[in-house]
Amino acid sequence: MSYRSLALCSNGGAYEAIPEPKLRLDLAQARTKLEADHRTVIDARVMLILPGTPEMTLTRDGKVVLKTHDAAEADRAFRELAHVLELPGVERARPPG
Amino acid sequence: MGKGVVLMSGGIDSPVAADMVMGRGHELVAVHMDNRPFTDTSPLEKVHDHLQVLRTLHGQALPLYVLPHGSTQITLMRNTDRHVGCIMCRRFMWRSAERIAEREGASFLVTGEALGQVASQTLPNMRSATTAVRLPIVRPLIGFDKHEIEERAKALGTYGISTRPGLCCQAVPDKPATRSRLVQILGEEQKIDVERILEDVVKRAELQ
Repeated sequence: MSYRSLALCSNGGAYEAIPEPKLRLDLAQARTKLEADHRTVIDARVMLILPGTPEMTLTRDGKVVLKTHDAAEADRAFRELAHVLELPGVERARPPG
Repeated sequence: MGKGVVLMSGGIDSPVAADMVMGRGHELVAVHMDNRPFTDTSPLEKVHDHLQVLRTLHGQALPLYVLPHGSTQITLMRNTDRHVGCIMCRRFMWRSAERIAEREGASFLVTGEALGQVASQTLPNMRSATTAVRLPIVRPLIGFDKHEIEERAKALGTYGISTRPGLCCQAVPDKPATRSRLVQILGEEQKIDVERILEDVVKRAELQ
């Protein structure tokens, strides 16, 4: 399994990371991991919403949508999220500087 | 001439529908269902810009009510069948618009729906959604194809606004139902407190 590189969604409003093949994430478990990392999580059952900068949504199939137009910010946020969730095949973000 | 409430999404269709109804001399009040966190700020920004075009063209005040819809979406996701999510969502939009119509003394609702354009706009789904309200719904674009609507939007000057970058609705299910049955929809609504949700949404309506 690997994630396609981050790309702008079709309407150009956000970045998205899509795993190939699709995952079958346990969102309850993902929520537990995120809350253990002191993140605020809105649980909509079929997706998790993570308020913040950037705001992110995570769906059961592993798709992550990052609401930002800044590619570097999206990349950093996605790698941090992947690290917390222990998603395979994603390198952790390097600290700035 | 009458007074109506038009649902404005920020997309291509709704300003064209509003223009057609205003062009016949009717007064309109706009309602935007704010779908954050399932979208971003772009739909609301587009609606503001659409309304400015329409106000200038028709010389109407065209007030805008913004109603929160994200919390309703979360309730629907948590408690009801995802396949009919778009129809359930639509029913709440209609009901919300009808409440604003009552407040504004309006006698009809307007939408930019065109038959078969998206999952929620098949005939069975439109019927299922429409039964949520009593006021008549005017659909000036019902028989138009996308190309015709786009050409009208370009002539109106709203196409460029509608097609600016923006985030699609993240609440749309992977496989939305295209042939819903009303009995199923009503059954799903038994799982939630429709009236309480609606009261909360209308209470938080903002006139902008």
